[in-house]
Amino acid sequence: MARVVIMGGGVSGHTAATFAKKWLGNDHEVVVVTPNSQWNWIPSNIWVGVGQMNKEDVVFPLAPVYKKAGIDFRQALAVSIHPEGKADSDTPYIVIESTKEGSTGEKEELTYDYLINATGPKLNFGATPGLGEGSQMGTHTVSVCTADHAVHANEELQKTFDRAKAGERQKILIGTGHGMCTCQGAAFEYIFNIEHEAKKAGVRDMLDIKWISNEAFLGDFGMGGLHMKVGGYAVSSKLFAESLYAERDVQWIIGAHTSKVEAGKIEYELLDGTSHEEEFDFAMLIPPFSGVDLTAAAKDGSDITSQMFAPNKFMKVDAKYDAGAYENWKASDWPETYQTPSYKNIFACGIAFAPPHLISKPMSSPNGTPINPTPPRTGMPAGIIGKAVAHSVCDLIKKGADAELHKASMAEMGAACVASAGKGILNGSAAAMTVYPVVPDFEKYPGTGRDTDYTFGEIGLAGHWIKHILHHMFIYKAKLKPGWTLIPE
Amino acid sequence: MKNEEVNFAKNDQFNLTMIPGKFARGMRTCKIWQLFRFAVINVKMLIVVSKSH
Repeated sequence: MARVVIMGGGVSGHTAATFAKKWLGNDHEVVVVTPNSQWNWIPSNIWVGVGQMNKEDVVFPLAPVYKKAGIDFRQALAVSIHPEGKADSDTPYIVIESTKEGSTGEKEELTYDYLINATGPKLNFGATPGLGEGSQMGTHTVSVCTADHAVHANEELQKTFDRAKAGERQKILIGTGHGMCTCQGAAFEYIFNIEHEAKKAGVRDMLDIKWISNEAFLGDFGMGGLHMKVGGYAVSSKLFAESLYAERDVQWIIGAHTSKVEAGKIEYELLDGTSHEEEFDFAMLIPPFSGVDLTAAAKDGSDITSQMFAPNKFMKVDAKYDAGAYENWKASDWPETYQTPSYKNIFACGIAFAPPHLISKPMSSPNGTPINPTPPRTGMPAGIIGKAVAHSVCDLIKKGADAELHKASMAEMGAACVASAGKGILNGSAAAMTVYPVVPDFEKYPGTGRDTDYTFGEIGLAGHWIKHILHHMFIYKAKLKPGWTLIPE
Repeated sequence: MKNEEVNFAKNDQFNLTMIPGKFARGMRTCKIWQLFRFAVINVKMLIVVSKSH
């Protein structure tokens, strides 16, 4: 009997675990280690952040779902990986620390035959002075990265609306809290949902709403933007993104590294090297991501963390990490199997794997400050990669070490994204987009890097209906309700 | 007065981009048109999803 341990119960880890258990049945063990007791449909957190959904609408407890599936659930934080075992045993294991009430802090060694790292991002608030400490959000700004953060964000937003109703003009600042953030899409959704709610609340004319991000152009979204065909023209997403901002009276600051956050004010550096300040009454700034604080040790106890993890703490896999300058980047730099090079029984999926480099063009100021988005790993790619990794692990178990691994390169898959611009079944809107492939392949698609027959974007009520349906559909799937495997990632 | 064009004058950023007119904005929430677009977008997404699996 083999044991597959999955660290992380988010979109990618949960997908990997549930499919692994489905394919392995009761012949083998599947264990999920995750510090959270609940699963969170993160794309809907922005609606919690504007009071259009409650926390209960976007989370559900994992324990009953895993019990139903026959998955061993350990509510714990993974602390360290020991891929070679220890002095008196060759069996690889991880060390986990319980986060469950009643046993918080208790450590345990969990052996494995196969390990899947799906730990997702560390919300690295501490990377920007004043934004927070370590992975803890500070007090000057809000966040929509977790359901609890989003609940708090809405509380603060409503206070802002109340002040506006009382006649006090309010400055709202939304965007990225560091020069190397990703997740611009979530900030995009939040700013336009705030704008939409402000109109409904009758306070829009008392708000100055401004965007700040590290993108070189609006519509970059961490993937270098996209080109779509509109009215017979192939056009950059920049044009439509700027159009929406202008239409909704949202000014923008781009090419910015938020360098410091204080009460009511941020300092930022632009790509031209100049520094500026921006005041706010309410601000949501996405923190930069890093990998979680996992370490790794060899059999003799020596530290091998830097061998297994990139400096950004994401786990190295089968990517080309020495691709060099932007001009040399190729689609083939991106990983296919997500297997770690040093240990054939360890994989990393979702946000946890280390990308070979950015997707967007690298930029830095004359001061040497990198100001460019890092690559996003949205829900669809994260789910597809998790499923492919689970499939590989199951084949290795059932067919042996020579089994062919499954591939899921982001340069050979597309993504469907829906970015909400306001919730409302009759008056909402969202930008429905597809990109194919996610990582541009300029050799295969000269000019745009993508197939413009399968890359498109459109804003309207239909997009909102789709996003709302996806909310219910993916929570249904994650709860493993009847027919869940029929819903694609 | 064309309210939808007012924002062009607010700053250079807005002045140099495109802003949808009344018809384009109206179509975004026209239920019949959006029902049609719902079907079309879903087909497009399903094609991309199937190419990705």
